[in-house]
Amino acid sequence: MKNLLQIDIKHLYYKNKTLARDIKLQVGHKERILIVGATGTGKSSLLNTLNMMNQSYEGEILFGGRPLNTYHPHELRTRISMVMQETYLGEGTVQDALDEPLAYCAQKDVDHTDRKERIYQLLEDFKLSPEYLGQKNSQLSGGEKQRIGLIRTLLLRPDILLLDEITSALDQKTSGIISDSIFGTYPGTVIAISHDPLWQERWNRTWRFEGGKLIDNGGVK
Amino acid sequence: MDISYLGVALGLVLLLYPFLIFAHLKIKLSRQLFISISRMILQLSLVGIWLEFIFNQKLWWLTLLWMLVMVSTAIFTIKGRLKFQRKILLPVISTALFTSGIIVMPWVLIMIVKPQPLYDPMYVIPIYGMILGNSMNSCALVLERFENGLADNWQAYFTRISLGANLWEAVLPPFRKALHSALLPQLLNTASMGLVSLPGMMTGQILGGASPLVAIKYQMMIMFAIFSAASITDYVAIRLYILKRFDKYYLPKGGR
Repeated sequence: MKNLLQIDIKHLYYKNKTLARDIKLQVGHKERILIVGATGTGKSSLLNTLNMMNQSYEGEILFGGRPLNTYHPHELRTRISMVMQETYLGEGTVQDALDEPLAYCAQKDVDHTDRKERIYQLLEDFKLSPEYLGQKNSQLSGGEKQRIGLIRTLLLRPDILLLDEITSALDQKTSGIISDSIFGTYPGTVIAISHDPLWQERWNRTWRFEGGKLIDNGGVK
Repeated sequence: MDISYLGVALGLVLLLYPFLIFAHLKIKLSRQLFISISRMILQLSLVGIWLEFIFNQKLWWLTLLWMLVMVSTAIFTIKGRLKFQRKILLPVISTALFTSGIIVMPWVLIMIVKPQPLYDPMYVIPIYGMILGNSMNSCALVLERFENGLADNWQAYFTRISLGANLWEAVLPPFRKALHSALLPQLLNTASMGLVSLPGMMTGQILGGASPLVAIKYQMMIMFAIFSAASITDYVAIRLYILKRFDKYYLPKGGR
């Protein structure tokens, strides 16, 4: 069960400074993991390490039994996908933003037959009407942008979703819609950094960065 | 028709006007005016004497040697002008300038100008100088635009690689923009050629006694060569810069 991701990091660095040592973790399918800890303890660095956005570490990470660095970065990043606090959608319309990944090589061989239906379904899940597709990205509110960004990432069908403070700039209502739809409909594993109290009760596992160590509660509440 | 040395000296009198304007407005440029003009006189005098010498020698190795001096000067001029990623610029600029020179110069010499001998410095050096000077400016501009394009929007870059873009796909938008903005001024300049001002090379030839009909043929040839060389230089420079600027995970090396 717990063989989706095997993390064995000896040293996690940030600018030549060791943030944490001896991080040994196993992650299974459908897990809901919350990373907590003070600022600068290594939460974001760990998250970025998992989709190859950070290379300042020593150790090995296996995804699906294969070392992370044997994957093409573009392939891995659509299977372990990140959504950040601020989403960049570009200059066009919402439809253009959702279609952006289609131009990239990781999506070239993917079957897109049910794509339209999936977009409508996801818009509904995130409480957005289909009219949004024709809207200009520049006219969207922060909460709308964040939801479109999430939909765009979910369309990639990632195995693992990495979320870095995605609701920290949003009001409670929007934050609630986002967490409802992620926890209600996304079938994969979620690893997230969040200070949102709404989210706290939905996790089945927490990783706490403390004193250069990572403490895993192992899925016990 | 030659100009006398006294005539050249009388030309200096014209500089009295800017000097008076600077003094009147208390603009601190008089010193710089003096330095710049002195340097120009000294450099051109030396170059004049030196070119007279190598033009008379007509030695292939001397011509080649001087071309190498020219290209090295161009490389270090660009490197001095750019204030970012200094460590990786040298091989990038050198390869780009060498590549365009090696592609364009033989075509110009063998197929078009056909001097006798082929390495006749009287043709090779001025033509190479014009091609190199333009490539140099274009190369500095395109690298600066590309780096600025990345720096202005790292968020867009990281979004692209997060969404499954490979390195090439992720850098393509700033690459396109940089090349566009480096080459467009040259195209606009080309389009107004002859109407607004006579290009320097043509002016020189006409003042030197050549027929305008000969001068325009040279000018057209040099315009083709300049634009071709600048495009090649810019393209090669950015391709190499990308290879040096990013690692195999598509992450920027040496900071954002």
